[in-house]
Amino acid sequence: MTHRDRLLLWPRHAALVAISIIMLAPFYWVLKTAITSENIYAYPPHLLPERPQLFNFVDVWYLIPFPRYLFNSVVVSLIAVAGNLVLNAIAGYALTLPFIGRRSVIVLLLSCTLIPFQATIIPAYLITAHLDLLNSYLGLALPLLSTIVCIFIFKASFDAVPRSLIDAARIDGLGDVRILLRVMLPLSTPAIATNVVLSFIWSWNNFLWPLIITRSQDMQTLPLGLARFLSYMEDTTGALYAFVVMVLAPGLLVFLMAQSAFMRGLTTGATKG
Amino acid sequence: MNWRRILLSRFVVVPIILTIAIGGWNAYVALHAHGLLEGSVVDAAGKPVAGATVTLFAHDFVTQVEKAQTRSDEAGRFRFDDNNSHLVQLQAQDGTLTSPRVTIRLWFRAQDRVVEKPLQLASGG
Repeated sequence: MTHRDRLLLWPRHAALVAISIIMLAPFYWVLKTAITSENIYAYPPHLLPERPQLFNFVDVWYLIPFPRYLFNSVVVSLIAVAGNLVLNAIAGYALTLPFIGRRSVIVLLLSCTLIPFQATIIPAYLITAHLDLLNSYLGLALPLLSTIVCIFIFKASFDAVPRSLIDAARIDGLGDVRILLRVMLPLSTPAIATNVVLSFIWSWNNFLWPLIITRSQDMQTLPLGLARFLSYMEDTTGALYAFVVMVLAPGLLVFLMAQSAFMRGLTTGATKG
Repeated sequence: MNWRRILLSRFVVVPIILTIAIGGWNAYVALHAHGLLEGSVVDAAGKPVAGATVTLFAHDFVTQVEKAQTRSDEAGRFRFDDNNSHLVQLQAQDGTLTSPRVTIRLWFRAQDRVVEKPLQLASGG
């Protein structure tokens, strides 16, 4: 890289830093409000936290059944992640194999991504009720057990595996299940990470479905707890934002742990000709 | 399978660190959550007040509810043995003299705590 090229990078980096600050400002404001007891609309606003303390987090932990909500969210998200990994990997692998109607199945799946979940929520509810899974962990995770976007992430990743490798595995006598487990998945760790991150975050943040199918407070997840907390507190001070931070933190942690593989997973197959 | 690589990956290390931190915190809580709350009552001149009534109010979502009462001893010391809240207020009263309500924030429910600053009685609270 020449000196001129390096000089040209500065404006780009400056623009990216400015955009990042704009993007991160709301998160900073939430965090700042969580560790102070300022009102979020206080005027004039203080850029830096004044008298920071962590007692708002203690309030959240004890004023509502936070540990129960947290446990429910963790269980539901783990079920969703496990279901996504197993079902999406199988579906993604199936879509890489030649079979009659494959193109139609792909078109059908892609068209289904255009239908919003709200449009199918009544049939989804009726199916869940018919399976007697209302107000259960499996029922809470059911709509996110397999997602079309994640199926195609696996498919793109599997398509990028050299055909000769799969042929060699077949010649060695491996069946489809073992090819998937021994060849495809070990070469698709970015796709696995992407599936884990996406399914975890979608399940973690899911509000509408748990709102509809939970019957008791014991089965509610964190987003429902947040809504309940807001309805109790009805103010815009520290404890509410401490709750927001506590809801956001696990999703951020999972994303940060898997971010490099997540990025690779999203771009796998993007340059395939 | 490279077990060493798997065990040292962030997906294993971070949960282990979190588990240790949570376990350590819970152990600390278990050892320091007896509900003991101690302090002292003094008059306007700073001298200990014996026989003052000290009231403990516990936070109940948006209000403070009276939970317990005790009396200060000869040295002005008082003690509650069964505080089960993480956010309490203390107020002392002796005849017409009253102290301001002091808010005590604890890191966990029933945390043992000695309130360093005494409750100071004054006329009109």
